Amino acid sequence: MEKPSLLPLLDARLPLTEAKVAEAARLAGVPLAQAWGVVRYYPRYRGLPQGRLLVDDPVARARGFEALLREAEGTYPPLGLEALAPVYLRFTPEERYVEWQGQLVPFSEFRLPFALGKGGRLLPPEPILDLEGYRALGGLEALKRLGQGLLTPEGVVRAVEEAGLLGRGGAAFPTHLKLRAVAQGQPPKYVVVNADESEPGNFKDRFLLEHHPFLVLEGALLAALAVGAERVYLYVREEFQAAILGLEAAIGELREAGLLPLPVEVFPSGGLYICGEETALLESMEGRRAEPRLKPPFPVERGLWGRPTLVQNVETLANLPLILREGPAAWRQKEPKLFSISGDVAEPGLYELPLGTLLGEALRRAGAAEVQAVLLGGAAGVFTRDLAFPLRYRERLPLGAGALVAFGPGVDLWEVLEGLAHFFREESCGKCFPCPLGTAVQLEMVRRRERDPKLLADLAATLKGSLCGLGQSAHWAYQSLLEVEGAA
Amino acid sequence: MRLRVDGQEVETKEGALLLEVARVPTLCHHPQTETRGLCRLCLVEANGRLVPACATEAREGLEVRTETEELRALRKTLLEWLFLTTDLSLAPELRTLLEEYGGEPERWGEVPRRKGREALRDNPFFLRDYARCVNCRRCVDACGDGIMGVYALAMEGRGLLAHPTTPLDRPLPETPCVFCGNCVQVCPTGALRPLSLEV
Repeated sequence: MEKPSLLPLLDARLPLTEAKVAEAARLAGVPLAQAWGVVRYYPRYRGLPQGRLLVDDPVARARGFEALLREAEGTYPPLGLEALAPVYLRFTPEERYVEWQGQLVPFSEFRLPFALGKGGRLLPPEPILDLEGYRALGGLEALKRLGQGLLTPEGVVRAVEEAGLLGRGGAAFPTHLKLRAVAQGQPPKYVVVNADESEPGNFKDRFLLEHHPFLVLEGALLAALAVGAERVYLYVREEFQAAILGLEAAIGELREAGLLPLPVEVFPSGGLYICGEETALLESMEGRRAEPRLKPPFPVERGLWGRPTLVQNVETLANLPLILREGPAAWRQKEPKLFSISGDVAEPGLYELPLGTLLGEALRRAGAAEVQAVLLGGAAGVFTRDLAFPLRYRERLPLGAGALVAFGPGVDLWEVLEGLAHFFREESCGKCFPCPLGTAVQLEMVRRRERDPKLLADLAATLKGSLCGLGQSAHWAYQSLLEVEGAA
Repeated sequence: MRLRVDGQEVETKEGALLLEVARVPTLCHHPQTETRGLCRLCLVEANGRLVPACATEAREGLEVRTETEELRALRKTLLEWLFLTTDLSLAPELRTLLEEYGGEPERWGEVPRRKGREALRDNPFFLRDYARCVNCRRCVDACGDGIMGVYALAMEGRGLLAHPTTPLDRPLPETPCVFCGNCVQVCPTGALRPLSLEV
């Protein structure tokens, strides 16, 4: 960090008092007004809910939400636990737990069960517990070649370009364009791994971080060397405590083995959906409210502390070692993509499937019987019944980060939609006008099961004008549900 | 530099904002503060993309449209939502704009409101009446980076109910406030207004 960042200073002082907030502001060199704005923004400084909490994700919404809610004292936003849903948490002032198989497992020990991962290239065939295990799988080869000069930084960028890798975080932007833009910028430059996975229905990054940290780290290091960055930050969703501890251990092992060519550190996220928006993410790292910036300038030109910054999703980076090992042509022939499949299927889990797999085939793999609709992508996603839809980018429907939530015949899809609308209203940062107003209006409309096409068209036209992707996509699921109903 | 605005060729200087060549409504924009691109009332279509005219520079050959059907729907709806949620009785120019766009706020039914918040009287000079606040942040910016560099105002909360506050929520006299009046001056809706105008 260029300067001490406010968020870690506040974290070190929890529970906060006015004096501690003032002290953190002084150490960070920011006005008390800025610190107070931060404290009144992020949930963990405002105060987390306590007691038994139901994870309010699309699967819980489909499983008799009201009855589930009666067993809880409150709710918590989706946490990448959809494959295990419905799930309850237990929050005390000292510790946060997942209720799992009759036990209270602290966040620091809870990992998604390894058996949920079904794949071969991006997902490890067996748990990788240390550096040796990763090496045994052929890991670190590309990094070694780069260190020996057998592979050049430009060679990495070219391989990514030839592979045609598109960003896996949801926007599907060509990765090589970002790599090249940052490579051309003036130092100091940074790489930020966006590991703030918060999109309902998605748990691919969580799984990779928890079970395959070395793959993610190698990908990040390859990218950093390719663009000439001087530091890598992993911005990890703060609730993924076990993943954070695992990453820190893996970084330590690499450092001890002399395999860390530049500093790498974990930055715990601000704990909100909006923190995954790349510029809001950078704002939070710089110690401000996680509110999106106006673009341009884009982070590749002016990112962290105003420096050229490569912000990439976890899965995107995990593909780099693979592309260099297999060669871009071979990689591309069967382009791997992780799909988080949950809901009414016999075997919910994380499935590595070739891009272009038909939706129906993906569901069949997960053991779906009868499906009335699938939520594709997440909250910023769409309901569909088109099982012949090919799961790839730049098609008729947005793939998002690859979440597929299946709903059986008995499910009230409006209840699921209400959950998504509630999520958007709660997660709107409030910086621009259309989003906080529109998401509040939308929730009321969904609650009264509003189907007036004129109102919906105006809602959509207005949300579309929001500052960032959160607001711009907040009406997609609503619109798609009416289309699905109309087609029925 | 030449560009086209609603089909008309327009000439402007390098670095000019689209706002200088496009006739569009604004709310968060103020020449003395750095707030821009927030209210989205000034959105225009530039080469097919929605961009805020207050924060986008003109470019040679740009094709700008200021009043498409979608943009009219957006402005009308935004104004309706603002009137529905916020007390804008001291913002007559917004009322005029709402009427120009044929807005009918009631068509949206019940939504959570900012209206009904108590006005804060914590100093002898001006009121802080956040029932009228649209969250444009001009006051926060004027107090901080934009004009004064005093930092007596901060933002509270998130989403629709976010609004300006003071550091540690203290009464203004207990903050770095120097009562310069800039925040009152830049407030577009009368949420901050001099007590001398109260009867």
